[in-house]
Amino acid sequence: MSEKWRYLITENNSAAKNMAIDRAVLVANSEGKVPHTVRFYTWSPPAISIGYFQGLSEEVDLKKCKELGVDYVRRITGGGAVFHEDELTYSIVIPENHPQIPKNIMESYGRICGAVMKGLKNLGIDSTYVPINDIISGGRKISGNAQTRKLKTVLQHGTVILDVDVEKMFSLLIVPNEKIRDKMIADVKQRVTSVKHILGKYVSFNDSVNSMKQGFEEEFNVRLVPGSLTDYELDLADKFEKECFANHSWNHKR
Amino acid sequence: MNSKSVYKVPNGKLIKISLKYSDKNKQILDLRITGDFFAYPEEAIEILEKKLVNTLLNEKNLQQKIDDVIRENKIEFIGLNTEGLVTGILMCLK
Repeated sequence: MSEKWRYLITENNSAAKNMAIDRAVLVANSEGKVPHTVRFYTWSPPAISIGYFQGLSEEVDLKKCKELGVDYVRRITGGGAVFHEDELTYSIVIPENHPQIPKNIMESYGRICGAVMKGLKNLGIDSTYVPINDIISGGRKISGNAQTRKLKTVLQHGTVILDVDVEKMFSLLIVPNEKIRDKMIADVKQRVTSVKHILGKYVSFNDSVNSMKQGFEEEFNVRLVPGSLTDYELDLADKFEKECFANHSWNHKR
Repeated sequence: MNSKSVYKVPNGKLIKISLKYSDKNKQILDLRITGDFFAYPEEAIEILEKKLVNTLLNEKNLQQKIDDVIRENKIEFIGLNTEGLVTGILMCLK
């Protein structure tokens, strides 16, 4: 009998709420109050998340965000700035001593990315894990991933790019030199791909989520059982949203 | 003196250093390390930044201090290492 983990779908949350939910699930799981969890989610409005160590105003054009109605948030995970618009985002929360999770952080990235790759395969897309934290297909990035370990618990979240508007993405990010903006856009277009680009047709979040869910079930030999956030998690998420992720001092701290 | 550097760590990530230093003593007054790297635990970066204040800006001192802080706080960097940090910091002097 395979182990049962919880499966969550939460659509259309703000950036601050999404990051607050990931942290709430991490805390609740670390206290043994909720099962190990795989969540799939979307962002509304579209948002930029930056890595924990990044400088917000170094990376993000805040004025442009306001103008285009794009949200922004600092993650508790490291890594780079990501524009979340047409994508499927996942997170997994599991104790770091779980037998399925390698102790070594780099190995655990590979393992969890294996689930994303199996999900992509279910969609008809072959892909490869490229350390440290990317998954590529046809030589181009289709997924970025970031992991933290707190309270003896692993949280990894990441993206599967369903469709990408590189011009829009770059209008929201600070480029070191305006003169090279066009070249950077051209470079990134060569380096980034999407499910739509590979399959030649658009696949929505709803049409891709089941394939991704099965990818996690196959990789970890578990059954993902649909569930919902507990009241405890919802309260924690409200608290983290207010005190942290929607808070100016958190987002601007670096 | 205030200075900044951007350095791509070989086989790693991009780090950006903002440095305030005494030109006379070649000593760190304030330091900010940003970038798209990973560090576990994340909060240790703030400890590292604080502990580097007053460190002399030469390779040997920086390396020793950074290695000490990494060991004392059990920091694990991914996409970044002591050499990368030292190089990034010293680039601010150029």
